[in-house]
Amino acid sequence: MIEFYAQIRLAHIAAVMTSGGLFVLRGLFVQAGRPAWALARAPRYFSYAVDTTLLTAALMLVTILPSGVFANGWLFAKLALLPVYIGFGWGALRAGTPGRRRGCFVAALVAYGSMFAIARAHDPLGPLASLIRG
Amino acid sequence: MDNTRKLWIGLATLLGIAFSVLLFMGGEIYRKAPPMPEKVVTPTGATIYSRADIERGRQVWQSIGGMELGSIWGHGGYVAPDWSADWVHREATAVLDLWADREAGVPYSELNADRRAGLQGQLREDIRRNTYDPATATITLDADRANAIATVSAHYENLFGDDPATAELREAYAMRNGTIPDAANRHALTAFFWWTAWAAMTERPDSDVTYTNNWPGEPLIGNAPTNTMYLWSAFSVLFLIAGIAVLGWHHAVTHGRDAGDHMLPASDPLALVRVTPSMRATAWYFWIVLALFIVQILLGAMTAHYQVEGQQLYGFQLSDVLPYALTRTWHTQLAVLWIATAWLGTGLYIAPAISGHEPRFQRAGVIFLLTCLVVIVVGAFAGQWLAVMQKLDLSLNFWFGHQGWEYADIGRFWQWFLFVGLMLWLLLVGRALWPALRRRDESRSIVGLLFVSVVCIGLFFGAGLMWNEHTSLSMVEYWRWWLVHLWVEGFFEVFATAVIAFLFTRLGLLKPRAATVAVLFATIVFLAGGVLGTLHHLYFAGTPTAVLALGASFSALEVVPLAYIGFEAYHTWKLGRATPWMARYKWPIYFFVAVAFWNLVGAGLFGFLINPPLSLYWMQGLNLTPLHGHTALFGVYGMLGIGLVLFCLRGLKPGLVWNERLLKAIFWCFNIGLSLMSLLTLLPIGTMQLLAAIKHGYWYARSAEFMQQPIVELLVWLRVPGDTIFSIGALMLAWFVLRLWVGPKRMADMPPEAVTAER
Repeated sequence: MIEFYAQIRLAHIAAVMTSGGLFVLRGLFVQAGRPAWALARAPRYFSYAVDTTLLTAALMLVTILPSGVFANGWLFAKLALLPVYIGFGWGALRAGTPGRRRGCFVAALVAYGSMFAIARAHDPLGPLASLIRG
Repeated sequence: MDNTRKLWIGLATLLGIAFSVLLFMGGEIYRKAPPMPEKVVTPTGATIYSRADIERGRQVWQSIGGMELGSIWGHGGYVAPDWSADWVHREATAVLDLWADREAGVPYSELNADRRAGLQGQLREDIRRNTYDPATATITLDADRANAIATVSAHYENLFGDDPATAELREAYAMRNGTIPDAANRHALTAFFWWTAWAAMTERPDSDVTYTNNWPGEPLIGNAPTNTMYLWSAFSVLFLIAGIAVLGWHHAVTHGRDAGDHMLPASDPLALVRVTPSMRATAWYFWIVLALFIVQILLGAMTAHYQVEGQQLYGFQLSDVLPYALTRTWHTQLAVLWIATAWLGTGLYIAPAISGHEPRFQRAGVIFLLTCLVVIVVGAFAGQWLAVMQKLDLSLNFWFGHQGWEYADIGRFWQWFLFVGLMLWLLLVGRALWPALRRRDESRSIVGLLFVSVVCIGLFFGAGLMWNEHTSLSMVEYWRWWLVHLWVEGFFEVFATAVIAFLFTRLGLLKPRAATVAVLFATIVFLAGGVLGTLHHLYFAGTPTAVLALGASFSALEVVPLAYIGFEAYHTWKLGRATPWMARYKWPIYFFVAVAFWNLVGAGLFGFLINPPLSLYWMQGLNLTPLHGHTALFGVYGMLGIGLVLFCLRGLKPGLVWNERLLKAIFWCFNIGLSLMSLLTLLPIGTMQLLAAIKHGYWYARSAEFMQQPIVELLVWLRVPGDTIFSIGALMLAWFVLRLWVGPKRMADMPPEAVTAER
């Protein structure tokens, strides 16, 4: 499978960007008081398909390079943030009050951004690594 | 004589004739099975293998998981090779290399085409010649064959040990390092593998067909489909079409005959059923069903993952504690166990509901039976772990370890225990049903038929007790398929039809007389093909040609009723909307409709795809087999089990509001997940394997060279979407059932308008 590493990584990154972009769009619609579009079947099922593709590609990457799991903990940090992102993401779209939805939306974006930064830096501290460690 | 009586007599006559023929064929298979030699020698008298070697080898093979690690004669797992086919190819190649080296000092592959053809012709004559002497029970092989056997044997002894030279191959085959630590046992294993290959490459006396009907396809030794296969494959399609035509005519004549005014009840009749203590205790069965189901899925994920990481799970050396042979064993066993538990629970739940009678100590019996089942699962699986990890003495393996027969893997002690458990189940159901069976009313026949199917399910498990440690492989296969086939393609079908029809009569939606006639007729149609159709699993298991003819013809008839299952599906769906109160049973009904759909697709289409002898010759043991297996077993009986569990839960927890959205998600997750698993992985890989088998020989389609190609690995990875969706469905189902006990929403808690809408 290592022959396809570059393509699988590209697919994973593309799915991440699509998933994040779709979440931002749906979150903004909810914030704008138009939840019907955000929660309609088409964007919902499309998000499931994108997330499944993302997950599949991620599992393939871990199998191709299992040492990535044990390197400097960057992957663990990403995985630890994932349930946080999912939880806040759910709240952003479905929480009971506007205030809660706003709070969850912001928290979810922060979690997503952190995961993205950690993945880019391949360091659990993300872009702060170079500042903290020098 | 009324219709019902005529149909009962017809059914009894059919079963009498069909089983007589099946038993006669068993006798023929016994007489014509490949012989077990006392010794295998060279012309100078040097012993290559003894009978003791071969029999011990078989015991060793069984102890490491048998059919759960690779396959023999096409039956078993799909990741490691078919050992028979692999041996045939390696021995043929070794002989050819020996001759090429002697003649020209080069390997066989470097000779020119003319010389290669010449040597191949010589090989075919030599290797197919039957040198078994019945008088001395000796097989004599020339020195060149003996040399080739030594070469191939060395390869397998290396592979099943922990030599680094074969480490990569072990990974490709998902074998743990040191699969067989004992060197003597490894050598014995090669004797068994050799014998199964000998049967595949040696012609029967006075025939040009091998003991395994020329399976596997191997160009080097001239193993190709026989004339008989072409003939009966063509005729089986003819019989299928003719059967569909006859059944269609029958449907045209009888359709709507019993349609008349039928007064539907104004409210749910089953809502008035008194839930007895023993019925309440069946909830434990349904909890166990879910637990076993989820563990089965987890093991399935591990087993599938072993195809891409042969000894690890995302870097963790899983094969050291839970190798492929075990995850696959438990995955396949748990499939049968959770489905059977669903039916055990359903039977015990509806029996008192039908008769209105709660026998004394029934609840205690129900709980005792469940405890026994848990003990059996834990004990049998522990024994299998000890066996595969080679910690159990070989002498104990047959009774307490791993028998190695796919779907009948548990030790003989545990088989007896399970059989006794099934008899206890029959007793508990029978004593609760007895008053209803004695009542001479309209429902008597359908209750009786339901009970007969339950009795047959219990009794036919006994077929798994008909072999011992040294029974001929062909006879073990004969009895094993009595158990598996007559369950899943025989009496499970009858049970499915009878229980769904029965539940509809209890709901007052069908007239008992009409339902009885329909179920009896369906039973006759199913079993007309189903009983002798058993032989379609035995085409290449060392059986005579008649097995091909009978198996092909009758198993084609099994598909006939499935062609019309759309009528049943639509009828079931319509009944689900017959009255407003039927909304309570919407989701069990949808699962019953799914049963019909997957019966057509999984059993009918994907089953017939691999059914004719010519098709199965190439497709047996390729991914086209689990394509049928997964879609049929889960699609039909898994869905039925879940539907019945939901039906019973409706009765056990009558006043609750069900989470309809959750149930809808569960339903679609299962159907979409199963579809994706089949279409994205099993079908494409199976098709690629089929083409490779036809072009290069069967061994190649199962080889590491083929299965480790990047495209195959990528297709295996495409299991993740379907399997993830399916798993989410299972977790949601567990959550749904949990919420019926923990924090349930009651109808009394709902505002009146919501209750009205729910109703």
